[in-house]
Amino acid sequence: MALSREAYQALEDIVGPDNISDDPSLCDSYAFQYLAETARPDQSHFMPRPVAVLMPGSTEEVQAIVKTCNRHKIKVKPYSTGWYFFGAPQKEGDDTIQLDLRRMDRILDIDEKNMFAVVEPYVICATLQAEVMKVGLNLNIIGAGASTSPLGNATSYLGSGPSTPWLGHNADNLLGLEWVMPTGDILRTGSLGSGVGWFCGEGPGPSLRGLCRGVRGARGGMGVYTKAALKLTHWPGPPQLPIEGRTPGYRSPMPDNFRAYTLAFPSWPAYGEAYYKIYDNEIGYIFHRQFTMLGADLGPAFWTLYIDPTKTLSNIEEIAKKPEVQKLTEEMRRSFQLILAGCSLRDIAFQDRVLDQILAETGGWKVDRMAEPDMADFTYLYMIRWGHKALNFVYTGAYLGSWAQKGTPDTMIQYQPLAEAGAARDQKSGLLVQCGGDSMMGPGSSVAGGGACGFEQFIHYDPSDKESVKAAIKHMHDAKKDAHEHGLPSGKEDLYLKIAMTDEQLHQQYANSSHPIVFHLQRKIKELLDPNDIGDRLYTWLPEPKK
Amino acid sequence: MALEDYRNDMLRCCRCSYCKWIPFDQVKSWRFAKGCPSIEYNKFQPYSAGGRLSAALSLLEGRSSYTDRFIDIAYNCLLCGSCDVACKVCRYNMEPLQAMHELRFRLVEDGQLLPQQMAIIEGLRKEDNMMMKLKAERGKWAEGLDIKDLTKEKAEVVFHVGCRFSYDEELWKVARGAASLLKKAGVDFGIMGKDEACCGGRAFRIGYRGEFTKYAENSMEAWTNARVKTVITSCSDCYHTFKRLYPEAGSKVEVVHMVEFVDGLLKQGKVKFSNNIPMRVTYHDPCHLGRQGEPYVLWKGKEKKIYGQMVVYEPPRPRYNGAWGVYDPPRDVLKAIPGLELVEMERIREYAWCCGAGGGVIDAYPDFSSWTAGERIEEAKSTGAEAIVSACPWCERNFLDAIKGKNADMKVYDVLELVQQAI
Repeated sequence: MALSREAYQALEDIVGPDNISDDPSLCDSYAFQYLAETARPDQSHFMPRPVAVLMPGSTEEVQAIVKTCNRHKIKVKPYSTGWYFFGAPQKEGDDTIQLDLRRMDRILDIDEKNMFAVVEPYVICATLQAEVMKVGLNLNIIGAGASTSPLGNATSYLGSGPSTPWLGHNADNLLGLEWVMPTGDILRTGSLGSGVGWFCGEGPGPSLRGLCRGVRGARGGMGVYTKAALKLTHWPGPPQLPIEGRTPGYRSPMPDNFRAYTLAFPSWPAYGEAYYKIYDNEIGYIFHRQFTMLGADLGPAFWTLYIDPTKTLSNIEEIAKKPEVQKLTEEMRRSFQLILAGCSLRDIAFQDRVLDQILAETGGWKVDRMAEPDMADFTYLYMIRWGHKALNFVYTGAYLGSWAQKGTPDTMIQYQPLAEAGAARDQKSGLLVQCGGDSMMGPGSSVAGGGACGFEQFIHYDPSDKESVKAAIKHMHDAKKDAHEHGLPSGKEDLYLKIAMTDEQLHQQYANSSHPIVFHLQRKIKELLDPNDIGDRLYTWLPEPKK
Repeated sequence: MALEDYRNDMLRCCRCSYCKWIPFDQVKSWRFAKGCPSIEYNKFQPYSAGGRLSAALSLLEGRSSYTDRFIDIAYNCLLCGSCDVACKVCRYNMEPLQAMHELRFRLVEDGQLLPQQMAIIEGLRKEDNMMMKLKAERGKWAEGLDIKDLTKEKAEVVFHVGCRFSYDEELWKVARGAASLLKKAGVDFGIMGKDEACCGGRAFRIGYRGEFTKYAENSMEAWTNARVKTVITSCSDCYHTFKRLYPEAGSKVEVVHMVEFVDGLLKQGKVKFSNNIPMRVTYHDPCHLGRQGEPYVLWKGKEKKIYGQMVVYEPPRPRYNGAWGVYDPPRDVLKAIPGLELVEMERIREYAWCCGAGGGVIDAYPDFSSWTAGERIEEAKSTGAEAIVSACPWCERNFLDAIKGKNADMKVYDVLELVQQAI
């Protein structure tokens, strides 16, 4: 489908000719998305092609575009940095324009005293962190890393991250918000709505944070968020991260008031017990199981080569065979990373003593090799900046996440063996990377210690090999089946599998969910806020039951 | 290689956008965090490396065809390699820069050309230079220096000045200073004078692979005839061409940049700086000396899979990711100059911002080229430096022009100019 000349001209009049295009190759570069091959016919890497791409430069332009789209019955799909197939048009045959928000990339304010920043959609975590660190503040960088938009993940996606225990969940860190609703009306939420500033998400003023983002966010399916204030937290480190070493394994000398540990345990119950004790004792700046994402069998070999700039992935087999690496591999099987930050040297000494006591009580240990200066400085930088997150893709160029059910440590260690066995079984085909059945990573805790943690299983497949892609899709179905057979809810794979479903299949699934009323409520919201249906189905809802 | 050989790179791009930024660990501010000038200037996704790969995939899959926009996407890029460095922070099985070169080769083969670049290439074919100047005037920069003419005599070292230094009179002082320094150091060297031809590197980067091969073969033959074993150049574009591209064409000649040579003299105690230069300067890493100036490693191998699907190469493929570029020699030279204070910009070494003169952009997209240089001047100014120093005449020319356009208060030097002043 193509835009009518009238509609194109109306949109061009808003953004100017330099900021709109319907060139097929240009539009295809937006349709190309990570994970598309798991959802599209014939494992195509292209999601449905937008009919045009626009780059608005202001809220006013966004508003004018949305109103024009209402008039012409065109769907609008906004994205900030645009990673994952959620960011592209979702359905073939829908006339969808893609809004690329990269021209809206300003940090509008850093309020040091009230500890928040106001940003536009294309500001990324790395740049915001660099700026707020200069005034002793930090933000929660989500698990997807430094390249992501903090506005995007706070308004439109999960928003949790490895630093959530200290820095909060971005859904909660969302304060004042400027929202161009699907009708083209602008709503300013929280204190912003009363014209008294950005400092509060709940008021005085309309408190619609839950309505516009829900648990998971609408991922571009419910209007456009154009400015947001995000809560920041104290940063006890240097105003700028000094960087040493050669690419790719850069490192930063760790300040005296920080520690970077990889902690390992003799059993899964001991591992879980350590989580509870960390919650109870309220230590930990960043608390995450990270380095096993490349497989418990191969991860230690990978990290060993990664920090050596003379080595490449082609060296991994020889490195994995080294006795010291084999020892490290066994040592790290049940391990996670913990960054401690002290507000003083006394504070960090206290946290160290607490941690030692936790390890003594659980039989755990600090992995010596990972505590050596090169690895510790690398781990510290990796976990603070999250600038290496695309290592998820290092083996092949693609991975997908399965499992990841959030719960208590007891829940997590209960499904860990299922997830491990399932991945090991599926890796036997040779169509997935055989890096170990346990390729699981995940957050250690929710806000302030305690609450949700989880293991996300990473399945590495070759996106250029259709058989490997099919094996990855099969794994998602297998993981879902494994979970259900053991009385567990679906995991992250379900989020991905939905993209390939027809509307009828989706509605069936929502209708069979434990709380279908939520989807009916969301239909009411959709009818009210998006009467011309310009958003896509990632804002989830159920049709009215037939009478 | 052919564009189809990079199909797997296209399919394996994870669309992470790392190619648009400097490596995230190195981000020090919002202002100077961007790495790719092309997407910063042109904004749309396909003006990034990842976007170009997906546009090329669209072409290969027959989903789109050549349009004015597609041609613009392919050529409106400096090929500076910033994307390549950032991508390879997390990837060992991607070659985005090589794939973008290959896209240009395909366009040229298919006759999808830019008129501005066609004129330059016509000039090259006729006069053996990329400056649209007369071949007969090529050796004028060296008049009165009494240097061996290697078209008539023999020497183990040839000093190659390149097209820019040969014809840009404002920069002749750098080339003449370099030649004088070689003489003072007692090097038995010569030049090709008016018979020096373009190295072919800039033609290669525009997409004219055939022209590159012709000029590489011509140079190698001339050097063989003069019994040359080492080529010294003060042009970083030529350096990259000789160091990284010529070995593919069979060259075995040692390649040395003039800053490496001076650094060697300093470290051996063969030269001393006696004059004070009280000035605060910042150093700009030329792309072709820095991240693209890594040593060439011969590789003939193939992709293989281990552990089921892990993508590696047999034998291990050389990794060009900017880790081993020429970064310290120019800095060490500058630091050795009495009174001179070297301050660093935020984007340096393998993640330096480009000067804007590469990839044929200076000819085809002068506004983009000038904007890119202007961004670098702004970054240099933010350090409090009085001067920006580089080691490539293309960078220097683009900075000089950008400063004139902006009325900026910033001096531009080649490292070798300051060396001359300090001796």
